[in-house]
Amino acid sequence: MDAVFSNFDDYLKAFGLTIGLFVVAGIASLVWGTILAVLRVGPISILNKAAALYVTLFRNTPLLMIFIFMAIAMPVLGYNFKFVEDVEIGGYNVSAFFFRSCIALTLYTSAFVCEAMRSGVNAVPLGQAEAGRAIGLTFAQSMQLVVLPQAARAIIPPMTSVLIALIKNTSVAAAFGMAEAVATMKALTNNNADQRTGIFLAFAVGYIIIVEVVALASYAVERKVRVAR
Amino acid sequence: MRFIRTKAIIATAGLALSLAACGDAGDDGGNATEVDVQENAADAFDDGTAMKDFADSGKITIGVKFDQPGIGFKGAADDMPKGFDPEIGKILAASLGIAPEDITWKETISDNREPFLQEGEVDLVIASYSITDERRQVVGQAGPYYVTGQQLLVGTDSDIASLDDVKGKEVCSVTGSTSLENIKAEGAKPRGFDTYSECVDQVLSGTVDAMTTDGAILLGYAAEHPDDLKVVVDPFSEERYGVGYSKDKPEMCQWIVDTIKKAEDDGDWDAAFEATLGQSGVDTPEPPAMDECPAA
Amino acid sequence: MTAQESTPVSAGRGEPLVVLSGVQKHFGQLHALKDIELSVARGEVVVVIGPSGSGKSTLCRAINRLETIDEGTITLDGQPLPQEGKALAALRAEVGMVFQSFNLFAHKTILENVTLGPIKVRGMKKEEAEKQARELLDRVGVGHQAEKYPAQLSGGQQQRVAIARALAMEPKVMLFDEPTSALDPEMIKEVLDVMVDLAQQGMTMVVVTHEMGFARTAADRVVFMADGAIIEENTPEEFFTNPTSDRAKDFLGKILKH
Repeated sequence: MDAVFSNFDDYLKAFGLTIGLFVVAGIASLVWGTILAVLRVGPISILNKAAALYVTLFRNTPLLMIFIFMAIAMPVLGYNFKFVEDVEIGGYNVSAFFFRSCIALTLYTSAFVCEAMRSGVNAVPLGQAEAGRAIGLTFAQSMQLVVLPQAARAIIPPMTSVLIALIKNTSVAAAFGMAEAVATMKALTNNNADQRTGIFLAFAVGYIIIVEVVALASYAVERKVRVAR
Repeated sequence: MRFIRTKAIIATAGLALSLAACGDAGDDGGNATEVDVQENAADAFDDGTAMKDFADSGKITIGVKFDQPGIGFKGAADDMPKGFDPEIGKILAASLGIAPEDITWKETISDNREPFLQEGEVDLVIASYSITDERRQVVGQAGPYYVTGQQLLVGTDSDIASLDDVKGKEVCSVTGSTSLENIKAEGAKPRGFDTYSECVDQVLSGTVDAMTTDGAILLGYAAEHPDDLKVVVDPFSEERYGVGYSKDKPEMCQWIVDTIKKAEDDGDWDAAFEATLGQSGVDTPEPPAMDECPAA
Repeated sequence: MTAQESTPVSAGRGEPLVVLSGVQKHFGQLHALKDIELSVARGEVVVVIGPSGSGKSTLCRAINRLETIDEGTITLDGQPLPQEGKALAALRAEVGMVFQSFNLFAHKTILENVTLGPIKVRGMKKEEAEKQARELLDRVGVGHQAEKYPAQLSGGQQQRVAIARALAMEPKVMLFDEPTSALDPEMIKEVLDVMVDLAQQGMTMVVVTHEMGFARTAADRVVFMADGAIIEENTPEEFFTNPTSDRAKDFLGKILKH
């Protein structure tokens, strides 16, 4: 454990990066996954099929392969996303590595978000959407005002699982230039072979804390949604 | 492959003049190292030592890297790993009367070298295994049998010429490696990857500015892409490669040191180097002085 | 408007409002609507009856395009039904729909159920929409329940709220798809009373129902369907006392026996 405490700065930075990847990829996945879910249940046949194809493609591809594609194949093809490094947000520059990692995580996770959303939407009786349309709501309005608020309760448990999986999946970025928790753990164990177990426990605890925070937040939201019904 | 028991001829790094004579579709030629396999080797060791057990059973398991060209590398189609580390393994095994084809090779990665030794998964680790005080707390490390240093691999048109130039630049290596920690200390942005080959791809595609690790490995890649890549800066760290063994068998240290010393004296060490790391064009260095074994 | 002219019985209270012409609909192998010709005049109350599976619900749902049709045309106030999109949503706002299973928005209060359409579709101000909603809820007799959620109301109360919700859009025509079929017997009357009231105030209505009493008292015309086709249509008195087709006689014989 000494190695962790004497490098506590690195430890915090590592989990900071893990959380950063989680938050950015998580928000992007929720947005993109929701759009996909709406396309999947929407009235336009070609978009249904396109969204279904997307889900099939990215849900069935190992995350590692998506990372290899984004981080290794794309740069070889000439797309290295270096342009994002010119963008400054609040004094910070986003690195192309962070950006590519977030894209890889989002491409993958959004497929699962879409399916979690869809299962929630399917849990809402069809008559609710019909009643919404019958009073003249557009498809988008009936999704937004009628279906999704009711789907929320059914969506939250599977969505929580998707987000927790995302937290752990950020560790794949360790092998693609991100000094997040797992990469830092490897560096510490490599340099401190005698403290392997302690270092491992310290990083496991870090993950447990993040996952528990997300799980508790989801229980809180679930309770709130339940009261609203 | 039928060999005379006493004289095994090993092909290394796709160099098989003699194998071609045996009807094996040889690779692109080159040097072969020959190792004298000791006869009646078991007689040379005292009862109850680990060496006696190996010699009696005729078996030994050695952990090497499979992904470091020149040092320890095994392609998908290869039967045996090639490189300087496996050569050292063969020399050690030969002194026990074990022929190269009777050695069990196991891939060790940076993360599992100590656990593998502690749990008896492997008998020896010869895997670009730098000797450090921390590691010597948990396992034995005999040697060094080779000393190298960290350098930089950059594109031929790169303006990185000295170590100062890496400040703020993105430099890749293997995730969690000491090299990556060292370059971070120099002010570079460390970019860890799973394998060296992925890291080289990043340099080639211009995604990172440089790659860093032990000079020997970098020379191998520079030789593969002479028009695109070059190795720069003088070695700025000292990596002393040692042979890892279990602390439960301290008697192995002296045997390892003695065997390697003998190989240095009779030219086997030079031959092993020339057949592997020497292929990238570097001169064969003087073998390093080895550490005293800890008192038993 | 040939469909109107060819209709044998027309209440003739006004010009045609809903016109179905040559409508065909298939569900896979099932021919759900066969060559439907039907015209509903402004202010007219048309009751559609028939055995289950006869296509009467499909007919009702096709009028606001909750079911698409394969062939033929449906016009509302002279406008053909648009395809999906904003235009269709605008048309649906003109057509009130009451479902068998009420379909009140489960996550919204009774008041919000009634104000949602006026606010979001008509762009009405919230206070104005609530004032109108409370008047409508009083009219259907559930004004004191405005703050509750649908699940806290009885089926009859929910269905009356559903009627108020549809009326809040000031529709040109009201469609009722078996509005009392999911109700306990003691609640049927309270819903039918509201519907009769509505009919007397001149609302154009298409009602799919098994309530023959309602058909007798409130309908201008009865349409009898079987196997996806309109078999017979007539005034209630004529239809119930003097059905012409064998299918209608058979059907009436079965339901009026008890």
